[in-house]
Amino acid sequence: MSLNTLKRLLGRDGSGGSGTGPLPDDIASLRGGIQSAVSSLRESEAVRSAPFWLPPFLLMGFFVYGAIGWNVIISFTDFAGLQLPTYDPTAFDLEMYRRALSDGQFWLATRNTFVLLVSFTGLSLAGGLGLAILVDRGIRFENWFRTIYLLPFSLSFVVTAVFWRWMYNFDSGVINVFLRGIGLDFLASKWLAGGVELGALSAIPLVPETLQFKLFAVIFALLWQFSGYAMVVYLAGLRAIPDDQYEAARVDGASTVRMYRRVILPQLRASTVSAAVVLMVFALKAFDFLYVMFGNNPGPTADILSTMMYRQAFAANEWAYGSAIAVVLFLVALAVVAPYLYGEYRRGEL
Amino acid sequence: MTDTPDTDGLSRRTYLKVAGGAGSAALLAGCTGGGNDDSDAEATDSDGGSSGDSETTESGGEGSSGGNALEVQHWWTGGDGGAAIQALFEGFKEKYPDIEVTENPVAGGAGQNLHAVIKKRILNNDPPSSWQAWPGANLQPYTDADKLADIEESVWGHNDMKNAYLDGPKKAAKPAGEFVTVPLNIHRLNNLFYNVEVVEDAGVDPASIDSPSALVDAMAKVEEAGYVGMAQQTKSAWSTGQLWAQVLLGEFGADVYADVTAGNVEANAEAVKESLKIVKQYSEYYPNDAGSISWQDANSKVIEGDAAFFHQGDWAAGMYRGQDGFEYETHWNQVPFPGTKGVYALNMDSFPFPANNPSPEATKKFLRYVGSVDAQKRFNPKKGSIPPRTDVPKDAFGPFLQSQMDDFANSDAQPLSIQHGLAVSPDALTGFGDAMSSFISGYDVESAYADLKAAFE
Repeated sequence: MSLNTLKRLLGRDGSGGSGTGPLPDDIASLRGGIQSAVSSLRESEAVRSAPFWLPPFLLMGFFVYGAIGWNVIISFTDFAGLQLPTYDPTAFDLEMYRRALSDGQFWLATRNTFVLLVSFTGLSLAGGLGLAILVDRGIRFENWFRTIYLLPFSLSFVVTAVFWRWMYNFDSGVINVFLRGIGLDFLASKWLAGGVELGALSAIPLVPETLQFKLFAVIFALLWQFSGYAMVVYLAGLRAIPDDQYEAARVDGASTVRMYRRVILPQLRASTVSAAVVLMVFALKAFDFLYVMFGNNPGPTADILSTMMYRQAFAANEWAYGSAIAVVLFLVALAVVAPYLYGEYRRGEL
Repeated sequence: MTDTPDTDGLSRRTYLKVAGGAGSAALLAGCTGGGNDDSDAEATDSDGGSSGDSETTESGGEGSSGGNALEVQHWWTGGDGGAAIQALFEGFKEKYPDIEVTENPVAGGAGQNLHAVIKKRILNNDPPSSWQAWPGANLQPYTDADKLADIEESVWGHNDMKNAYLDGPKKAAKPAGEFVTVPLNIHRLNNLFYNVEVVEDAGVDPASIDSPSALVDAMAKVEEAGYVGMAQQTKSAWSTGQLWAQVLLGEFGADVYADVTAGNVEANAEAVKESLKIVKQYSEYYPNDAGSISWQDANSKVIEGDAAFFHQGDWAAGMYRGQDGFEYETHWNQVPFPGTKGVYALNMDSFPFPANNPSPEATKKFLRYVGSVDAQKRFNPKKGSIPPRTDVPKDAFGPFLQSQMDDFANSDAQPLSIQHGLAVSPDALTGFGDAMSSFISGYDVESAYADLKAAFE
């Protein structure tokens, strides 16, 4: 697979460089009968193309995968405080992972991470789809609206976290001011400190007695920031669908809802998957947003794995434990991305 | 026909290949070189550690060229702190014009960013000459790893420092029994600030509140008069951490406080739980928007006359000073936190002396200077803190700081701050932060007690 890619790359380069002559692929097919010659040519091509793929391969391998690998190794040691670990393979163990499994805080952070991941991604996709359909209906000032919805995406988490904190203020925040203004005083809440009693539901493990708004306030703010992105991805998907299909559905007497449900939405699968992957990865690194809003400890109701990792490694000097949490986070990210990559690979789009 | 471009391409490729190979070889060489450096440094350091500090510093002195370059890292990049440290460096340069000072400030995160940089440099055996650090147990990981050198003779033996510093600061300078750092300033943590007009209007006399539990009644009275009882922020947990520590100190005294921070939480279970309950009662008198404001926003409520009381370190007074028409004693005032009269709860910054110091002689001169009257007289009035030396003349300070200095000089106990790392190690401090973060979302006394026990024991 990778060899084919390289061959294609090389072929293109060869033809570009000379401007004449057939592609190496064609040469190979011409000499198709001579197997050994083909295989040796392939080998030499891999070698000859090395200057193109080897440097990025080495740089990525060292700085990305090497760093991940080293992090995994640290998680096997007892590295804490200011003494370097010995990196003695015989002393490697899974103690830090066992510690995580028996740490209540770790489970709370994991729960919050998944709540954030699932609800943020799902709601962003739904919001983005809704906006995309509305914008795609041929409304006036379409470009205006598109820009307005996408604008929050261009802002840094640091900026949005600060002004959402202001907006959530109980006394002077715009949300409560608005709710009071339209006579819905009873809805005005302490968005970052309050919650609702859950009653009987709290019997389920990891479900708290009081559902704090904190995490949902964060999710809502992130939703505002990222639905614009989902909208753009969906809009591109919608634009790729030929107008004929809308017209054909209309001619057959389909209602608008039915048309979208049966004709348009099934064709947006690729957009959904690619937007979902990006959104999920953003959810996993919502660290900056939480850190700016609440500091390095957002409390049990909004703590996620990345804030906990930072706290353990850089505040408590528990480097190995922080690394173990990082590895868990990495595996979660991998679990999110891997099915997507595999699906694309199966489809031959990779 | 195909041969010509092919060979041409081949030669170009060969060239690239060679270049790429050379590049990656250089990369690898760089890596192994780095690795070797590390292990060498590690070896020399462990030698120095086992054979005594004097030898390390001697060899370090020979190694550094001339010893007149000094690298100091701190997080005072702006505001009061920035002006204060610049005044200190100016004084140092006047005294030692031949020493070249390099500042490498790292801003942000209330020092956490600098901590991360320092830890990395210490682990790589490449420490700066000195850096801004909380003294006390905060330095425990450094002393555990033998990363700091004893400076009892070389620094604390000068300028009459041992007599000029009180016991609390001296204890903080000796996290493992040896003097390794020099405290530069003190912020007091057991002040209770109040708006004079508000408490008068509510008919409350702050001076007569004699215990943390009595403060609850005073705040109830304030709320009846239509004001917020206590301007507190609960956006992040550290302010509550400070407050709980003062309640424990005020209600149960300095000995119980020291015992709890030493790890004996279970033996003082009643005191810990009772103090948590009092903080829970306080929380009913916080402003409605406590969860989304910073400490400055909270303090503004006092300045604007919306709230009566405010607990924070004495850096809060810096905001009053910067406010026109909001004067000490006529508009704002303070009492020691109820029950902590005669106690001066310490939060300090200091400059430690790393083993394997890149510039031992210059660093000693700098640390001696930090411990001198001149440096502390220049630094503290600008920072809004008081000097840990008790012999610094008071005329450079404003009336509030002068009264703080009197309180300090006459204090019987100087307990170390929990929240600012003086009393507990960074590990325990993180556990404490977790406990307080959980506590402020629901005020569950029993689970906060369990968390505190887990953090300190």
